[in-house]
Amino acid sequence: MWQRRAFLQAAGAGFAASLLPRQALALERTELVFASAVQTASGGYGAVLLGEAGELIASIALPDRGHDITLSREAGRGVVFARQPGTFAVVFDPSGREAPVTLTSVAGRHFFGHGVFSPDGKLLYATESDFEAAQGVVGIYDAADGYRRIGEFPTYGTGPHEMLLMPDGVTLVVANGGIETHPDYGRTELNLETMDPSVVFIDRRDGGLVGQLRLDSGLHQLSIRHMAIDGRGRVWFGCQYRGAPSESPQLVGYASMEGEIRLIELPPGPLADLRNYVGSVAASADGATIAVSSPEGDLLVAIDVEGKRPVLAQTLRNGCGLAPDGAGFVASSGLGELIGMAGAARETKHFDFQFDNHLLRVG
Amino acid sequence: MRLMIIAALMLAFAGAASAQETTPGEVLHAAVVDVIRPNMLRLDAGARGLDSAMTALCAVPSQDGVAIAAQQFRQVVGAYGKIDFLRIGPLMEDNRADRLLFWPDRRGIGLKQVQAILAEEDATATDLAGLRAKSVAVQGLGALEFVLFGTGAESLTDATGAFRCAYGQAIAGNIAGMAKEMVALWYVPGGIADHLQSPQADYADYRSETEAMEALVGLVSHGLEGLRDKHLLPFMASDGGPAKPKLAAFWRAGMTMEFVRANVDGMAELVARSGMARAVGEANQGLDNSIQFEFRNATRALDLVTLPVEAAVADDKQAAALGYLVLVTGSLQAMVGEQLPTALGLSVGFSSLDGD
Repeated sequence: MWQRRAFLQAAGAGFAASLLPRQALALERTELVFASAVQTASGGYGAVLLGEAGELIASIALPDRGHDITLSREAGRGVVFARQPGTFAVVFDPSGREAPVTLTSVAGRHFFGHGVFSPDGKLLYATESDFEAAQGVVGIYDAADGYRRIGEFPTYGTGPHEMLLMPDGVTLVVANGGIETHPDYGRTELNLETMDPSVVFIDRRDGGLVGQLRLDSGLHQLSIRHMAIDGRGRVWFGCQYRGAPSESPQLVGYASMEGEIRLIELPPGPLADLRNYVGSVAASADGATIAVSSPEGDLLVAIDVEGKRPVLAQTLRNGCGLAPDGAGFVASSGLGELIGMAGAARETKHFDFQFDNHLLRVG
Repeated sequence: MRLMIIAALMLAFAGAASAQETTPGEVLHAAVVDVIRPNMLRLDAGARGLDSAMTALCAVPSQDGVAIAAQQFRQVVGAYGKIDFLRIGPLMEDNRADRLLFWPDRRGIGLKQVQAILAEEDATATDLAGLRAKSVAVQGLGALEFVLFGTGAESLTDATGAFRCAYGQAIAGNIAGMAKEMVALWYVPGGIADHLQSPQADYADYRSETEAMEALVGLVSHGLEGLRDKHLLPFMASDGGPAKPKLAAFWRAGMTMEFVRANVDGMAELVARSGMARAVGEANQGLDNSIQFEFRNATRALDLVTLPVEAAVADDKQAAALGYLVLVTGSLQAMVGEQLPTALGLSVGFSSLDGD
């Protein structure tokens, strides 16, 4: 059960946690739980856990806007990362037995909103920015020592965004979006002319570069941001285009540790409706389908990974969060909706909070 | 009887007021016709004047010629300040936003490149085609500011500055060319102006009035963020750190605050003349007044900043006014970026806000 007092003690002034007593047991009973950062109706920020039926199980308040959440069964912890260029991450116990820990980025670094645990749950990795040098780094945190930051290694690019652990348990894959930002200038993008996005594979044991893949140089303004891994271990990615709005480059592709990287051909209709902006990417439970979303274009697209073609396009106003659900996906929206797609039979639920860009399947 | 007549008149007025609620179509039309196009035309006129002034200066270098060019530059800075936040369509095509003003330039890349062109007297920078092939940072207002006001600008008054002047002339021609292109694109039949005013489901840019309104409101919301993050906070003192006035746009020309004022005026004008905050239901009828009140607060703060930026940040009262201006931009952003979209039933502001 979530410990309200422990949350409050850990978080200090201005950081509140709430527990819904009638639903506290649901967390332990339910088999499927989703987590997401949210904005509340009053304008505050938090994170929520939802049960199988979309019922709200628990919520915590955050000091500012969160972004993605990662979870480790082995560590028994989840982590909400601040949206870039945020400087906090909150480590929480989904069972509520332990108090959450708020991490603060070290001087000269900020978080990018994404991270991942090692397979044994002992280490937490976070994408961060060395903003003076305009270089991405992976911050390493020791779970056994209160999530103390014990080191970092480079992401071999600028503006790293999502990071995943490959099925081998050793290799991290990082999407270097290629966009330089600096806290002195808020979220202003400083290098659109010279962007250099890439997908990199990094050996998490020593930070060594296993491989770095780039799209054609003519696509240097195609920022690679979000990823999911299919059943064959290929890394599917979704892009956001920073070139002229009248241009419509392909936005979805895949990369492999064998060195392949390519964009797939989405038909003109769905491609146009993605509005040069893919906000999240998820793989189905069986790894046979990838879903991508565009809150700019109000569109969700499911893609068959073998045929490399879309099998479904569905509208969801301001839809962005995606998570696997049975044979299909659950999608969440910035207007507070939670719906099923691509084979997930699920009643649409409406909440009085707005979902942030990512939805995590916890259980 | 008299009371009944008054009551009937009041009801009639109430009905008329209700019927006069601004529609999205009227907002979009007014934004294009009353605000965007006129401001593009002003930039075009100013840029043509600047082009002429640079041509005249290069033909007959003189102190007067430099003064005239500087005055024309001032007009263009002000005119550009009013459209810098209109980041849709023509300004975002062909890298025009960066080519007109590469800012911020945190690493001073543009400055180094401009200085290299001047030091090497790179002749390819003095013709339009050659200049357009170069880095966006050496093609626009920032580069021309250095030519006119940077180290060595005194050479423009005689023949020793011939190369510098020719480079400046090419930049002015480039700016004028872009301004002319943008005017043409905002007037071309079937172009962005038509799409924005009369969205269609099969248009690639604006499929519905809702999307067009989201784009319009987003211009102001993002514009306020850009004003604060690119043109105010970087040079102001913070967290005990000193002010850095040389991180302000146009500090060499002494036009930093003129640009900021033009930017504020441009956004206020778009909100007021388009009536975007009047296209709301009865419960939110006060929002338009609140937004305009806050824009007037921004203007009042700007009225207090009378010194060049280097002196202003060192003056307690004027630095405080700048701090207040930052607060006002935050308040305006909350109104335009959060309250107004909600009141209009739009979704500017959360998942789709930007780049994550």
